[in-house]
Amino acid sequence: MTSTEVDKPLSIVRLVVGSSGTGNRWLLLALATTFVFAGMAAIALDRPTQAGLWTTFAIWLLCSAGATLVMKLCLPAHDPLLLALPLFLSGWGLVAIERLAPPFADRQAIWLVISVVAMLAAACLPHLLRWLRRYRYSLLAAALLLLLATIALGRNPSGLEFAPRLWLSIGSIYFQPSELMKIILVAFMATYLAEQSATHRAEQSDAGSRFPASPRLLGPILLMWLLSMVILVWQRDLGTAMLFFIVFLLLLYFSSGDQRILVAGVTLILLAGLAAYQLFPVVQLRVDIWLNPWPEADGRAYQIVQSLMAFASGGIFGAGVGQGFPEYIPVVHSDFVFAAIAEEWGLLGVIGILSCLGVLAWRGLAIAMTHPGAAFHKLLAVAITMTLLAQALMIMAGVLKLLPLTGVTLPFVSYGGSSLLACHIMIGLLLRLSAGAR
Amino acid sequence: MSIETTIFILRLLAGLSLVGFLLTLFSVIWRNLNQLERSAASPSAQHGYLIREGPEQTDNAERWALRPIVTLGRAGGNAIVVNDDFASAEHARIILERGKWWLEDRQSRNGTRLNDDQIKHRTILADGDVIGIGNYRYRIHIHP
Repeated sequence: MTSTEVDKPLSIVRLVVGSSGTGNRWLLLALATTFVFAGMAAIALDRPTQAGLWTTFAIWLLCSAGATLVMKLCLPAHDPLLLALPLFLSGWGLVAIERLAPPFADRQAIWLVISVVAMLAAACLPHLLRWLRRYRYSLLAAALLLLLATIALGRNPSGLEFAPRLWLSIGSIYFQPSELMKIILVAFMATYLAEQSATHRAEQSDAGSRFPASPRLLGPILLMWLLSMVILVWQRDLGTAMLFFIVFLLLLYFSSGDQRILVAGVTLILLAGLAAYQLFPVVQLRVDIWLNPWPEADGRAYQIVQSLMAFASGGIFGAGVGQGFPEYIPVVHSDFVFAAIAEEWGLLGVIGILSCLGVLAWRGLAIAMTHPGAAFHKLLAVAITMTLLAQALMIMAGVLKLLPLTGVTLPFVSYGGSSLLACHIMIGLLLRLSAGAR
Repeated sequence: MSIETTIFILRLLAGLSLVGFLLTLFSVIWRNLNQLERSAASPSAQHGYLIREGPEQTDNAERWALRPIVTLGRAGGNAIVVNDDFASAEHARIILERGKWWLEDRQSRNGTRLNDDQIKHRTILADGDVIGIGNYRYRIHIHP
């Protein structure tokens, strides 16, 4: 018997069990599968036809197991938690959508396949990070063209006349370009600031303790603010506009360490908010029902009030999957999925979601701290982490009425194909960075 | 089995697997942090280490593991706390970037010295360099 014959079965055993320290990826996957299975089974109890539901479950399981295996083979040095968490959250999301809006679950499952393939591509393509850097201006131009196209040709899948038109459509497939723009802008900001960081630092040490507010620093802030305002004014997309600006501000702060940036940025946000409150009825409505929703509890504030009711009726352990009444919240499967989770999985579920997102954010920032590469890699890790975190906090605080409601999706959980795709591509890039790739 | 029992069992399963998932998550983090602490405690950690050479030479001088970010200063939150009147609270830092170790002054009042020369810009460190802050001197050992 030659040594290779002995080695082969051993390496397969190692593949399944995992080497010491990383074996947890399969344990995490098994627990996630049990959780998703229990949710699906509870929904199946009062379904006459269960084929669609179990197909969705099978698709999720194949995607998760496949992604775990592929990542272990292609990029063994990656952070296993960064892979397990998005898969767990998207499984939870599928259960929630299957429970709340069954017709949408099949579509979401197809989007999940596309997203996971895109994530693996982003993680495993060897020169992707270099391309992102080299072709940043072309990418930015493409993103701005997409934005213009959306302003000109945008649609809303519901077909209502006054609904915000944020989608582009090819046949019956709708896509939200702002989600794609998120990735490109994040990569662009990281390259721009990485390029500038050397200059910043030189100016800083020449000018003594404090560096002057140079146009190199203020220029991009104002440009970014203008871009956000364009999105806000033409598209009435409050959430995306806020998200772009907040992420950019945090990134600028991370790269320069100057606290005045935060002060200036918050001032600009407040000014823009005040102006928007005066000019746009949408913004006015959001702020009014945030300050006091109760006078209009069965009118314009119906959604947020029902969301608060859902939180209240969930209790500690929740009503149980399929046992609560989250359907009272209009369009609960996309923006308000967090409220449905609070009702049916209770405080335990809310703590679960928060822990998962918290650990995800921490692991992302840990990459930024320890990555041996250039400033670009650190800033890209920070930018991606902050985008996911800011988006999650904005919508979670929104449905809890801690902040005015901004219509963004809860990453990985909410219904929405473009959002799922964008989040997975960002995780793919993070996974690549976590393996120390340049 | 009645439907109530089935629902109860499924809820139990969901709750337990959720708690199990979170516990596994935290146990991985716990082990990672322990590992980090162990590697920081051993003087010949993977990147290298720093050793205090001044103001007074002693036989068992203090050592610190070289990590991707090492902050130096008088404030307690720094990786290396410099107990010197001439040190600023956030005085300097050593960072790993592009595979090189850089010394960076953090706008300290009295400046940072590298082999007895005041540094103006961030500077690449080499094995055996001596970093000076006030009366304190630290020699850096970088593993290849």
